[in-house]
Amino acid sequence: MTGGSPVDGTDRPQEGKRFRSRWSGGNRVIRGRAFLRSRRGAVATGTAVALLAGGLGTWATDTWPFDGRDRYCWGAWEEDSGPAVLGDEAFEGEDGHRRTATGTAPTAAEPRGRCVLAVRSTHTFSDGDKGTQDTRVTVTYGPAPKGAADRVEWAVEFLGGRSVPLPEGLPGTVSGSHGLLVLPERCDTRDGRPTAVTLKAEERSPEDVIGSPNLGGADAAVQLLLAAADRGMRAAGCAPAKPLRVTSPLLSLPEREDTSSPSAACRIPGLDVRADLSKEAALRVRDQVGAVTGGLQACSVRIGRSLRLGEREDARVFDALMVREPRLAALLDGVTGTGRPARGWRGTGVLTDDHQAVRARCAGRPTTFLMTGSPARATKRYFVTFTDAVTSRLGCAPVAPRAGAAGAGPSTAASAPESTAEPTAASAAESTAESAAESTAESADGESR
Amino acid sequence: MSDDEPTTGGSASGGSAGTSSLGASTGTSTRTSTSTSSTGTDAGTGGDVAAADVVSAPRRPWWHWRQLTRGRLRPALAAALVGALLGGTGVAWRTETGPFAGERACWGAFDEDDVADLFHGKRDVETAEIPVTTSRIGSEGPSGRCQLTSPRGARVTARLHQLDVRFGGAGDTWADEYLSARMTPLGGGVLGMVSDTRAWLAIPEGCVGRPGEDQGPLVVDMETGWTVHDDEVDTDERARLARAVVKLANDYMRDKGCTRALADPSDRLSAPARFLDERKDAVCGIEGLRLHGGRKPDGYRRPLVTRGAAPVRTCDRDVVFGHPSLRLMTVADPRLAALYKDLSFDGGRRRVTAVGDTREYSRGQGFLRDDMGLYQAECQTGEVTFLVRADDGDQAADIRALLPRYVAAEAERVGCGPLRLRMPA
Repeated sequence: MTGGSPVDGTDRPQEGKRFRSRWSGGNRVIRGRAFLRSRRGAVATGTAVALLAGGLGTWATDTWPFDGRDRYCWGAWEEDSGPAVLGDEAFEGEDGHRRTATGTAPTAAEPRGRCVLAVRSTHTFSDGDKGTQDTRVTVTYGPAPKGAADRVEWAVEFLGGRSVPLPEGLPGTVSGSHGLLVLPERCDTRDGRPTAVTLKAEERSPEDVIGSPNLGGADAAVQLLLAAADRGMRAAGCAPAKPLRVTSPLLSLPEREDTSSPSAACRIPGLDVRADLSKEAALRVRDQVGAVTGGLQACSVRIGRSLRLGEREDARVFDALMVREPRLAALLDGVTGTGRPARGWRGTGVLTDDHQAVRARCAGRPTTFLMTGSPARATKRYFVTFTDAVTSRLGCAPVAPRAGAAGAGPSTAASAPESTAEPTAASAAESTAESAAESTAESADGESR
Repeated sequence: MSDDEPTTGGSASGGSAGTSSLGASTGTSTRTSTSTSSTGTDAGTGGDVAAADVVSAPRRPWWHWRQLTRGRLRPALAAALVGALLGGTGVAWRTETGPFAGERACWGAFDEDDVADLFHGKRDVETAEIPVTTSRIGSEGPSGRCQLTSPRGARVTARLHQLDVRFGGAGDTWADEYLSARMTPLGGGVLGMVSDTRAWLAIPEGCVGRPGEDQGPLVVDMETGWTVHDDEVDTDERARLARAVVKLANDYMRDKGCTRALADPSDRLSAPARFLDERKDAVCGIEGLRLHGGRKPDGYRRPLVTRGAAPVRTCDRDVVFGHPSLRLMTVADPRLAALYKDLSFDGGRRRVTAVGDTREYSRGQGFLRDDMGLYQAECQTGEVTFLVRADDGDQAADIRALLPRYVAAEAERVGCGPLRLRMPA
C-alpha cells in the first residue's frame, strides 16, 4: 500500500489535517471543568472511541499524518512511494544521504517546466578512498526542441536506444533510465506542436556523465513519468478529465545489447557496419534493438569503449529510428522539410552526410525515418538499408530508390554483404528504376504524394 | 523450561518476572495484565520504584488503572473496550484476516467464489497444492502446482512454471496442447491464449524481468482435461478460464511486489476458430499452398486455424487427445519461439537453408525429417519459427511439399520476407 499511485499520495496530507482539527475540537470541549466532571464518562468514552477509530483508520490504510515524507518535482513524486530512486535504496554510499529537487513547474502562461532531482551520497572505502554518488533525474515539460538537428538527436535519445513503447497504447516510450510521453492534444502549444514530458536519469562524476543509473526498473520509470505528466498538466491547466493511467505492468522489457551479430546489425540483413571499421574496432561493435512494432522501430549501433585506448565513451556508429505512431510522429513534424530528399526518393526529407530524415506514406500512414551518425563516417547507405528493411517489414514500397534492376526484393538484394555498397551508388546516380519504384509506391499506398 | 513457555522472547530474569505478575493479575482484564507485565519486564530499578509508589500512596491519580476500573469511569472504559473489540472484529471481517480468513485456493489467488465460478457454482471442491518455490539446484525457475477436484470428477490443474526450452524437453508437448488452433489470444498485447479447456499466460516482464538468454518465459497455465476434437469452443467456459488465469498471474505479481495488474480479458476475446473449408490450392487457407501432387485435402479432416492477432498462427487438423495429425504453425513471438531454438539447430541432419545465405551470415536454420519440417528465421522482430509437423512418418512427401511455400507465405505475412528456403536433397 505504500507503493500506491501518486494520486492517492496527494490526499494524505489532507487526511492529516482532518485528524488535527478533530484534536483541537476536543480541546475546546475540555474548557469547562464542571462540564468535564459531570460528563466525565461520556467525554472519556468519546475520546477513547475517537482515538481508537483514528488509530484503526491510520493503521488500516497505512497512513500517518505526521510521516514527514518529502515531495519532489512539482509535488509529483513522493519519497518512498515505490520507485527505487525515491527510496532508501537510491543511496549507494553509506553517508551524506541527500535528495533534493530544483526547478520550475509549468504554468498556464508559460507551459514549460523543468525539474532536476539530485540524489547524493558519499562512501568511504576500506582503504580510505572516498567516493561520491551524484545521480540526477531530469524531468522536462514542453514541446520538442525547435531546430531540426536538435530534434532528431532528442527523438533518438528518448525514442531510440533501449526504449520500449508504453503499455495500453499511451503515446510514449520508456526504458530503465529514460521516458517520454506525448500529452493529449489539449496540451499542444499555440502553434500546434505537441507537448511532451521527458524523464532522464544520469550518473555523474565530477567531470562528466558516466552512465545511466537505474530508476528501479522500467515499470518504475512508467510510474515516475505518469506522475510528472499528471502534475505538469494540472499546473499548466490542460489536464484531461480522466487522468492518464497505466494499469498494466510493462508486458515486455527492452532487449539486451547484442555483441555477437556478425553482419546484420539489429537483425537487418545487409546492415553490416564492420566493413568500414578497423579490424580491432569491428570486434567491439554492439547493436541495440529497440522497439520493433508497427508504430516504432529503433536500432542503435555503437563501438564499445576501449579502456586500453583510454576511451571514456562508446562511439556511435549510428542511431536509426522509424516513427509511425501518429502522436509520436507529430513530434517530428517539420524535421523533414518540404523538399524531396534526393532523386528517386519518395516523400520529403533531407539527406546530409551525418544525418538523414525522410517522411513518406507507408501502408496508409505518414512514416518518418531518421538516422544520425557521427561526423567520422557517412551513414547514408546504412540509412538506405534500414529504410528498405523497415518498409519491407511494414509491407509498403521502399522510400529509397531501388538498387540495380527493379523486381529484386530489397532484403535479398542487400543480404549479401558485398552488395551493400550498391544502394549508395544508386541513390546518387539517376536510375531508370526510380520511376518504377514511384509507380509501385503509388499503387501500394493509394494516396502517395 | 516449562516456566518460561508462557513468555516468549524475554530475557531470563525478565521472563520469570513476567510470569509471576501474569499469575498475580489473573481475573483482571487483558489491558491491566499487559500493563503490569510491562512494568515487570522492565527488570530495572524504575519498575520497582513505581510499584512501591503505588503501594504507599492510597490516593491514586485519576488515570491510574485501578482508579479507572472503579466508579463512574468504569462504564466508559468498558464501552471503549467493547468498541475496540467491535472495531477490530469489523476490520478483520472486512479484510478477511484472522478468524474470517476465507478458504483460499491455488497459492491464495482464488477465494471461494472464484473456485465456485470455475465449477459452475459448486462449492464442495477439494484443493491440493504445491506452493510456488524456486529450486536452489537446477535452473528451472520458480514453479508450483495446484489441483482443484470436485467429487463429481471435474478437475482443474493450474501450474506456474518456466517453459522448458531444452532440446527434448517438455516444451514441445506443451506447445501441442497450449498453442493449439482451438486457443484464442488473450488480446491487449498480453502473451497468452485461452480455450474452453486450456489457458496460459506469460507473466509480464515488467514485473518479473526478462528471461535469461535461451530461457523460456515464466507462464501460468490451466487445464481442465480433454475435450472432443470438434471446433465448438464453449465461450462461457473460455471466459471463466480467462478470468481465472489472469487472477493467478495477478496474484503472483502481487506476491512479487508489483503494484500494477492485468485487466480481465474475458470481454475482449475474439470468436473461436471454426473448421475451414479449404481449396486444394489453399491448404489451411494459405493461397498457393498445395499438398504433394496437388491432392485435394481430405474433406473429413478439415483444419482449424487460429483467429485474431495471436502470438502464433496454428493450423491443426484431426486432433486426437490434444495431438494434431498435421500441424502448420508460425510462432511469431520470439519469447515463444525460444521453445524451438534448440530443436532448429539439432532436430535433424538434413538441413534446410535459405536463398542468400553466405558463409558469414544466414537467415536462420532448420531441418527436414519425415515427420517434421522446421525453420527458425532471424526476423527484425526476433526469432520466428515456422513448422510443419505430422504425428507419424507417413506424410513425409506432404511435409516436403508444404514447408518451402508455407515459410515463404508466412514470412511475408509476419514482415520477414522475402524468405525462400532451399530444401535438402
